[in-house]
Amino acid sequence: MDDEQAESYDWRGLADGVRGAVCLAGLVMGCSFIGFGALIKSLDFGLFPAFFTIGFIWALPGQVVFADMWAKGAELSVIALAVAVTAVRLLPMAVLVLSKARLRGAPRWPLFVVAHFTAVTIWLLTNQMIDTIARPRRLPWMLGLGASLMTAMFAFTAAGYYLAESLPPALARTMVFFTPAFFLITLVSGARWRFDYWAIALGAAIGPVAAHYWPRFDLLIAGLVGGTVAFLLARPKRRGLLK
Amino acid sequence: MSGLGVYGAIIVAGFAVTYVWRFLAVLAIGRLDAESDLLLWVRAVATALVAALVLRLVTAPAGLLEQASMPGMLAALAVGVAAFLFAGRRVELATAAAIGCFFLADIILG
Repeated sequence: MDDEQAESYDWRGLADGVRGAVCLAGLVMGCSFIGFGALIKSLDFGLFPAFFTIGFIWALPGQVVFADMWAKGAELSVIALAVAVTAVRLLPMAVLVLSKARLRGAPRWPLFVVAHFTAVTIWLLTNQMIDTIARPRRLPWMLGLGASLMTAMFAFTAAGYYLAESLPPALARTMVFFTPAFFLITLVSGARWRFDYWAIALGAAIGPVAAHYWPRFDLLIAGLVGGTVAFLLARPKRRGLLK
Repeated sequence: MSGLGVYGAIIVAGFAVTYVWRFLAVLAIGRLDAESDLLLWVRAVATALVAALVLRLVTAPAGLLEQASMPGMLAALAVGVAAFLFAGRRVELATAAAIGCFFLADIILG
């Protein structure tokens, strides 16, 4: 089954990927994008710019950082840095996902497309499902999964946007609150190392203090200081950068 | 802000700075250790930044959450985390507990 030397992708995997998008993780993702739609409405960011962030950023923390900082009038360079920091976690995620899908003999360009689809839900589903899928079908499977999830998220976001407009204020606020609640719980659920817990606690503690003294750079300061201190406090055993 | 408009800004300060890591990942397949010190530090920084983002959405709210009670929101977050850690580590249930708690607090306090 793990035929890494195969020379061409088996595109029948595409349809399996589309079907694979209908699952609990996809539903949770849909709820998070309903929350995103409500947040967008609440920030007065605009639905079409929100669609643009889905298609081009395709990672919810980056999208929320962008929309929140843009709405508050932050400078572009500061927004770019903060989004870049939230997106670095996609690098190891994409390496893990793609190394299970690539074929040595096949063209490389589809990898650059699937890389764009790689975000936390696809990484999660890949970890769950990949061993049950024949290697030549894996990359088409990811393409089908990514493309159908992305399409669905446009609809979920629009639904959240219009619901936030039409529901009673208490319900609309609850929809907006979904985003911080979901992000925090996802961070805790994704914690594997001791430093992860320290990073959550320190980032949460430093954030509001930094917002008070350096309002334009609060996220960057909280991330760099909190993350670095957490890493130094509870550093795992040493390894090199390269294999 | 800038003359780019929001769509240009999303390309420059959203797409470019996000896709660069995905692009590097394709180049790094089989060569990079995802659990190296450098990448673990990066993970810690990104985690702390997202945690700070959560607190910012709640303590410096814009839009609809401006009318919500801050103690209510902080309590709801605490309930969500506790529900996750002590009731089966289920993200969907813990999130439901947090937003349910927020809704109740919002009705009672607001």
